[in-house]
Amino acid sequence: MVPPLVPPAIQRNMGRFYHSYDHLPHSSHARHQCSRHATAEFWLGVRHELPLQLGVIPFGLVFGILGLASGLTGLQTILLSSILFGGASQVVFAQLWAAGVPPLVVGGSVGVVNLRHVLYSASMAQYLRHLPLRWRILLGYLLTDEAYAVSIKRFQDGPHSPYQHYHLLGSGVTLWVAWQASTIAGVIAGTTIPDSWSLSFAIPLTFIAVVAPSIRRRADLVACVVAATLSLICQPLPWKSWIMVAACGGVAAGWLTHYQTQKQDRITPDNDRGMS
Amino acid sequence: MIWLVMICSGIFTFGTRFVMLTKWVADGLPRWVIDALAFVPIAVLTAILVPAVLIDPSTQQIVVLENARFFAAVMATIVALLTRNVIATISSGLASLWIMQWWV
Repeated sequence: MVPPLVPPAIQRNMGRFYHSYDHLPHSSHARHQCSRHATAEFWLGVRHELPLQLGVIPFGLVFGILGLASGLTGLQTILLSSILFGGASQVVFAQLWAAGVPPLVVGGSVGVVNLRHVLYSASMAQYLRHLPLRWRILLGYLLTDEAYAVSIKRFQDGPHSPYQHYHLLGSGVTLWVAWQASTIAGVIAGTTIPDSWSLSFAIPLTFIAVVAPSIRRRADLVACVVAATLSLICQPLPWKSWIMVAACGGVAAGWLTHYQTQKQDRITPDNDRGMS
Repeated sequence: MIWLVMICSGIFTFGTRFVMLTKWVADGLPRWVIDALAFVPIAVLTAILVPAVLIDPSTQQIVVLENARFFAAVMATIVALLTRNVIATISSGLASLWIMQWWV
């Protein structure tokens, strides 16, 4: 779905409209309405995020075990989950650190694995840019694969609401709590969970659950196929940079297909949608 | 030393999540970039999941046919398309993987 076209001026006004509630004296009707809508969005985010925890919690357990096995202390393993707060990059960190790789290379690899968040951040920008700085910092910290996946869907599919950022807060907090708790559980449970359970496979499965139903247009399919192909071909690239190459390639291919389709549509007479 | 690397990586990671939310970037994104960004969820998640399914962790080779994870992923995709249900997708994928690993 193409995100709803809301002119920047209106978006900024929506933000001003909403924030003006904050300065009203409490007990006003407007204030009550505001908190009610915000709470509803928050719990919607929680509800959308909860099913994905079936994939996240096993992965958190696996990371807790792996952290100890790599020679990190329990405290380091647990704090890595809140300092980095990114499953794949935490695994990379633990494995490289255990292998005695120079610290700069460890940091660099973690950075490259996490570069994809720039794309998440950019696609969230149009929905979050009117928020005050403290909100953008908090939501930025909570912007992980799984929280992004469910909240961007809500933002793109609408309906637009001035309180919709509470959806990302709800999904982000849910993921944060589940991730910290499952890491701690993994550290405590230690080696009692056998490798043969393949629990780390739960994460690709959660991504399948998000991606497969979201392929609706031809351009979506093209983006998916190109990203998949590049992710395999570009494996030999250093520092796991294949993630970014494949992601950018997929985005570009999807956009080109979308652009071509729109150009063809514009030739037909009864079309009123332009690219502008 | 490890703490220093952890904190630096953490700050960098936060930076990757926050950079595009800063006012001067967020307000300057042109329309065509915003259009292109609609493909981010599909492209990024596919790029992560496909190698996780098809690449054998021990040999680093692409394995398709003698790969239980591939068939589990196909099963999960079918369930995802039919049910559009996250829990059904993840559990059917894990269940097919376990069945193939332990009984086949």
